[in-house]
Amino acid sequence: MDHILSVLIFLPAVAGILGFLVDKNSAKTYAITVAAIEFVISLWLWMSFDGTNSGLQFVEMFPIVSSFGINYYVGVDGISLFLIVLTTFMTMISLMSLTITDNVKNLVLSVLFLEMTMVGVFVALDAILFYVFWELSLVPMLYIIGAWGGPRRVYAAIKFFLYTFAGSLIMLVGMLVMAYLYYEATGVWSFEITEWHKFVLPFEYQLWLFAAFFIGFAIKVPMFPFHTWLPYAHGQAPTIGSVILAAVLLKMGTYGFVRFSLPMFPVASVYFIMPIAILSLIMIVYTAMVAYAQKDIKQVIAYSSVSHMGVIMLGLFAMNAEGLGGSIFLMISHGIVSGALFMLVGVIYDRKHTKLMSEFGGLASVMPKYATIFGIMLMASVGLPLTIGFVGEFLSLLGFYNVSHTITLIAGLTIILGAVYMLTLYKKTFFGPVEHEENRKLLDLNKVEMASLAPLVAVVIWLGVYPKPVLEPIDNSVKSLLSFMEEKTEALETRYDNSDEALEAIEEAKNIIVVSQNREAE
Amino acid sequence: MESLVYIALFAPLLGSLIAAAFGTTPKTLFTGIVTSSLLAVSMFASMILLAMAVSGAYIHVELMEWIGAGDLYIPFGFVVDEVSATMMVVVTIVSTMVHIYSIGYMEHDIGFNRFFSYLSAFVFSMLVLVMSDNFAGLFIGWEGVGLCSWLLVGFWYHKKDVTRDVNPSISPSWAANEAFIMNRIADLGMLIGLFLIYWFTGSLQYSEVFAAIGDVDMTIVYWIGIFLFIGAMGKSAQFPLHTWLADAMEGPTPVSALIHAATMVTAGVYLVIRANPIYDVVPDVGYFIACLGAFVAMFAATMALVNRDMKRIIAYSTLSQLGYMFVAAGLGAYWIALFHLATHAFFKALLFLGAGNVMHAMDDELDIKKMGALYRVMKPTAIFMILASVALAGIYPFAGFFSKDKILEVAFNEQTYILWFVLWVTAGLTAFYSFRLIMYVFFGKDRHTEWGAHPHEMPNFVLWAMSPLALLAVIAGWFEGWFHGYATNLLPDYAFSDATHHMVAMLIAVTTAVALGGIIYAIVRYRGNGPKKPTNVNSPVYKLLINQYYIPVIYENVVTKPYAKLSSMAWSIDMKVVDATVDFIANSIYGAGSTARGLQTGNLSKMLRLMAAGVAALLVAAVVYGTLR
Amino acid sequence: MVTLNDYLILSAILFSIGLIGVLRRKNLLLLFFATEIMLNAVNVAFAAISKFYGDLSGQMFAFFIIAIAASEVAVGLGLLIVWYKKKGTLDLDSLATMKG
Repeated sequence: MDHILSVLIFLPAVAGILGFLVDKNSAKTYAITVAAIEFVISLWLWMSFDGTNSGLQFVEMFPIVSSFGINYYVGVDGISLFLIVLTTFMTMISLMSLTITDNVKNLVLSVLFLEMTMVGVFVALDAILFYVFWELSLVPMLYIIGAWGGPRRVYAAIKFFLYTFAGSLIMLVGMLVMAYLYYEATGVWSFEITEWHKFVLPFEYQLWLFAAFFIGFAIKVPMFPFHTWLPYAHGQAPTIGSVILAAVLLKMGTYGFVRFSLPMFPVASVYFIMPIAILSLIMIVYTAMVAYAQKDIKQVIAYSSVSHMGVIMLGLFAMNAEGLGGSIFLMISHGIVSGALFMLVGVIYDRKHTKLMSEFGGLASVMPKYATIFGIMLMASVGLPLTIGFVGEFLSLLGFYNVSHTITLIAGLTIILGAVYMLTLYKKTFFGPVEHEENRKLLDLNKVEMASLAPLVAVVIWLGVYPKPVLEPIDNSVKSLLSFMEEKTEALETRYDNSDEALEAIEEAKNIIVVSQNREAE
Repeated sequence: MESLVYIALFAPLLGSLIAAAFGTTPKTLFTGIVTSSLLAVSMFASMILLAMAVSGAYIHVELMEWIGAGDLYIPFGFVVDEVSATMMVVVTIVSTMVHIYSIGYMEHDIGFNRFFSYLSAFVFSMLVLVMSDNFAGLFIGWEGVGLCSWLLVGFWYHKKDVTRDVNPSISPSWAANEAFIMNRIADLGMLIGLFLIYWFTGSLQYSEVFAAIGDVDMTIVYWIGIFLFIGAMGKSAQFPLHTWLADAMEGPTPVSALIHAATMVTAGVYLVIRANPIYDVVPDVGYFIACLGAFVAMFAATMALVNRDMKRIIAYSTLSQLGYMFVAAGLGAYWIALFHLATHAFFKALLFLGAGNVMHAMDDELDIKKMGALYRVMKPTAIFMILASVALAGIYPFAGFFSKDKILEVAFNEQTYILWFVLWVTAGLTAFYSFRLIMYVFFGKDRHTEWGAHPHEMPNFVLWAMSPLALLAVIAGWFEGWFHGYATNLLPDYAFSDATHHMVAMLIAVTTAVALGGIIYAIVRYRGNGPKKPTNVNSPVYKLLINQYYIPVIYENVVTKPYAKLSSMAWSIDMKVVDATVDFIANSIYGAGSTARGLQTGNLSKMLRLMAAGVAALLVAAVVYGTLR
Repeated sequence: MVTLNDYLILSAILFSIGLIGVLRRKNLLLLFFATEIMLNAVNVAFAAISKFYGDLSGQMFAFFIIAIAASEVAVGLGLLIVWYKKKGTLDLDSLATMKG
């Protein structure tokens, strides 16, 4: 019980190594079993998590390089908890829906290693540990895209790897500078994120370090203009790769903002709100338009991911509990919905080996179950109330409205443009007469596909109707994060001899960071 | 009491889920019966609740928390007060009748079970919309009815896109998407309205918002009023978001009766009525709403004058009547708007169901010029439709007379004589086009035998399902006095000035005269073999009207096509600029590598020379740097 | 009187001879000679400066270098012999296996 997080991290890794001994015909079953156990453990973690406690729980720490303050330090709070559950859930579901038979053993073992790194990123509380898992996650993904992908898989895989890798190197430099500054100020080396959070940085350093971390995270998110690796990666990746990439890997970027940028550089975060908001706007509107122009179903969903990530970014920088909490909820919901959509595209690809919309049409008559589930996911994707998609989107936009009216108004176009490209996609694929005779013979969802999609549908509706079990712990952690940011801003004001620009930024930060309206009123 | 609320609300949902369970199987009659009876249960519960509300009860229940984040707290809370009880009764009565009607109408459709599932889901969403005690809950219903409208308009999704009249390409699925997207545009306005309400009053609960609205800055209230009304414009298809309503006639006719005439499209009016404390603070916004309403009333009526498509004519008349409701609501006469909403729901649903009967008889033909003399074979339908048309035209003592006349009086009382005049003219137009339809369909020359139609009346139970609506279309207006007293328990009363009081008889006479004039002209013009002097189809006015003022074409050319073009441009920018930049950076690094590769000759002496040159350069640099320092 | 300057000049001249040898010669054996000259040029400088400052560590370093140079020559010559046996030449231009 004390080591539940370590079990969560290393179970898939150990199982992955042992997996080499497993017979290749039973490898898939083996991996599903491991992923299911992992999922059950993460559920147990959720059950034993104290939702009213906003701090870190299940903390484990022992030193690795004590002279430099590098520790094995892990823990969860309300923010990371659900990302862990999302990771284990989506890994299990994507393994269940796996249809690749070629060299499948290596594929499932890669996925298990990937699961370790993803869980590791979300539980790590030491910067070096975080960085190690962060970079390690690239390797299995590189392998999955490069070995099981489409015709241009090598180009896509290398682009994905080098692009994100370049970004994270800059982030690493940022981490080292941060550690050095901490050492200079306190006389001890430490890479503990919690220690860094307490450390008040002068304004100018905040700006530079924010920028360094920003590049690392922004490429992962991916924010405009760093997003072009994503359509290639999705376009070439096998279904399981796309599902995990969209559902979990992208969330690592936004999670990084919550874990590092916001608490460590609160004033810089506020200072950079406008540029980030404008980039997010471009992401939302421009990629929604690009999505509309696509001919390939999978590319539409890939670009729609970018567009939705824009809303997440806006919510993150809303600097109030509504927006930030909504944004974290949106990470979960986008993970589930986009994962499901990619799985659905996989279903049709398995049957016809094409993803072009023009090859389909009228599928609703041929595959009614498939059309229904696709329809539900579509509605969740466009943010219909009582589906999971609405809660996060609504809260994110609501939160950012307090920062800027105009930007939120433009960002709100997402609900229109999202409907435009998704409904067009749906009409072209599912409505109208069946134009290609061979499509009449397409089979509806089989039992395995139903078994892997039905839980997703259930979650989409359950959390849409009753988001409280997830939203409440998130809300508690977010509120403590915000009040922490507020305190740090005040500490910065008193501790250093600030320049005029810095003072201005501090004033702005004090205005924008809202922990609670009621408290402001007092 | 609480359980009654839940029964009224969840019975349709239960029905929908039961029907959905059989959604992919072929027709099973019992899904129709189950959903209809569950709706009847809901209807009786609503009636009991209405009776309670009449006796002054105010029921407020909270099912559970929905969203709680930061200071935001949104419950699933439902309220039964004068307004929502009225809406519930109207919605459930019309829905129940439409359900029963549909059992007959959809008899031969393979999607029978699916249809009932959607239809009941719609009723559930509509009830959530009207019963919610907060704006977010209203938004759930708001989007829910939008979804069901999408599903139901696109019910015959397998039909191909075709070019018809002015529509470059239209099909049920196209119309469904258009309706959804148009509504989404308006929903953005609505969402912004909600954001404003939340950040300036701290809550989304009606009671708290209305209590706090007085302390909010006037400009903000203006914006709230405007943005909420933008939301209402989408659902109620007000100009310029009106095109979807006529296209939505692609859906099955019972759907048009229920959603696009009686209930969903009135949601916008309901919103304005519900948010009356907000609009009371900003009468200017209300005045704007009234002006737009009057404009739409006339605008839609003119398009109905020339159209040949039976359902579209009725759709335009719906649009026109919605304009009337907005005039009343905008001018502060909320109870009159609500009253017209209710009476309109009855007679317009009846009219649509009648049109459904005709379509059924005519093998889904919609062109009224291909019909005629159907009175002989479809007497009950003809009587129902004439009743509904008379009510629509506003002839005493039918329902439309009481509510519509009141709206004209309000316009007169506010001294907005232009609005009054517009509405007055529209009343004449309404009477004319309604009876043009009646004359073309039921009287005059038989034009259908020549193309081989075999008209036949609907089964009896279908006609029985229509009869309560017919009854209400006649008598609903008689409750005006009672309704006034009842509704104004919650809504602000509307006071007529003494001057108007003196003029009332005069106003009624003038309005009735114009309506009767319209009817008589239509009868005279279209009786027998049709008009002696046919309409000049080449006149610019006719062309303008038959092309719906060219608005669909303008939207196609100004919005849809440029957006598609812009999108593919954005895509090529993405590939040729953004991605190319990234690839350029990567390629220049690769390039630098392959250029530098030439240095690596592998020849030791060359490399030693390079090394020596490097050392020398470093030495020089060190010396220079040293002296510079 | 021989001053420190003279020793340093000698050392510099020797170093330059060595450097030119390294750069100009094509035979690996002669390259070795040239490197030895450069090492010894440095030794001279070390010894002279050590004497000038009266600090013995310079001379100690010189001894170190002599020892290392000796071992280096031993290993290096061994490699050269092997190379010569294999290729039959010690010409530098024939050694281009590291070409990029």
